[in-house]
Amino acid sequence: MNRPDLDELDHQLIGILAQDARVSNRKIASDLGVNEGTVRGRIKRLQEERLIAFTALTGLKLEKATNIGFIAVQADMSRAREIARDIAHMPLVKAVMITLGPFNIMATCLYDDLDTLHRLASGRILTMEGVHHVETSLAVRTVKFSNRVVRITELPGDTVE
Amino acid sequence: MSETFAFDETDRKIVEQLRLNGRATNQQIAQSLNLIASTVSARIRRMEEASLLRVVAVSDFAVHGYNVLIHLAVEVNGRPALEVAEELATFPEVFAAHLVTGRYEISLLLTLRDMDELSPLVTNQLSQVRGVWAMTPAIGLDIIKYGLDTAPISSRRLA
Repeated sequence: MNRPDLDELDHQLIGILAQDARVSNRKIASDLGVNEGTVRGRIKRLQEERLIAFTALTGLKLEKATNIGFIAVQADMSRAREIARDIAHMPLVKAVMITLGPFNIMATCLYDDLDTLHRLASGRILTMEGVHHVETSLAVRTVKFSNRVVRITELPGDTVE
Repeated sequence: MSETFAFDETDRKIVEQLRLNGRATNQQIAQSLNLIASTVSARIRRMEEASLLRVVAVSDFAVHGYNVLIHLAVEVNGRPALEVAEELATFPEVFAAHLVTGRYEISLLLTLRDMDELSPLVTNQLSQVRGVWAMTPAIGLDIIKYGLDTAPISSRRLA
């Protein structure tokens, strides 16, 4: 992974925007004692380098699929990347990592009922070419988790004010 | 939290716009949805106050210097798994911890700056937690996707 060159001001900006992304450039500028153009320029750069993205996080109550499931996949390692990408595009799949260990690919998904999870794991993933074995486990309790730190792979329609 | 909160189609459309660009102005959102800006601002405030919505910047693992990701499958013995998971969750290197069903009890995701941190973390700290019986690692080679935009609002804390 690249190590981004970020200074104290960048980290302060990210800290403010991680709490509330709707605060105006003018307010941030006055809080940090810099001018508005600097704030605008820094935010633009952070977005362009895919270090931050602005999004809406919604409570579980708004969603139909509220349970977390983990799907561990043993697949042909020479094809792990393409298989992982295909899994990442499946609906309800929120995280996909290629790993070296007992499994080659570990996916995290949200599901509403066990049938949905079963259709995803056994119906779609297990039937993929190059996939040998799938093991599913259900999260019964989330003890620690952050959805503020992510992998930013695309910036759908993000624009800077 | 309001029990009677009615989340309607307009709310859903506003959230959709915010997911695309959390920093769109109320005016921009209003225009694209044929609403007036004060409606947009009132709806957003209402959802935020009901803890149903947070509009935030999310940051990449790279911002935090997390260059190494490791998944640890933890098997527990002789102590309730929840207690073990809660103790493991106190370590800053533990980015995520879930109790799970299956052949192991706890799923941990570790974020490290450097591979050198792994040995002292595992041998001196994680393995010392009472109830930890066995740990099976999987080294993260590449994150293809990572981002859950839905979770209990109250559990959101920047790592």
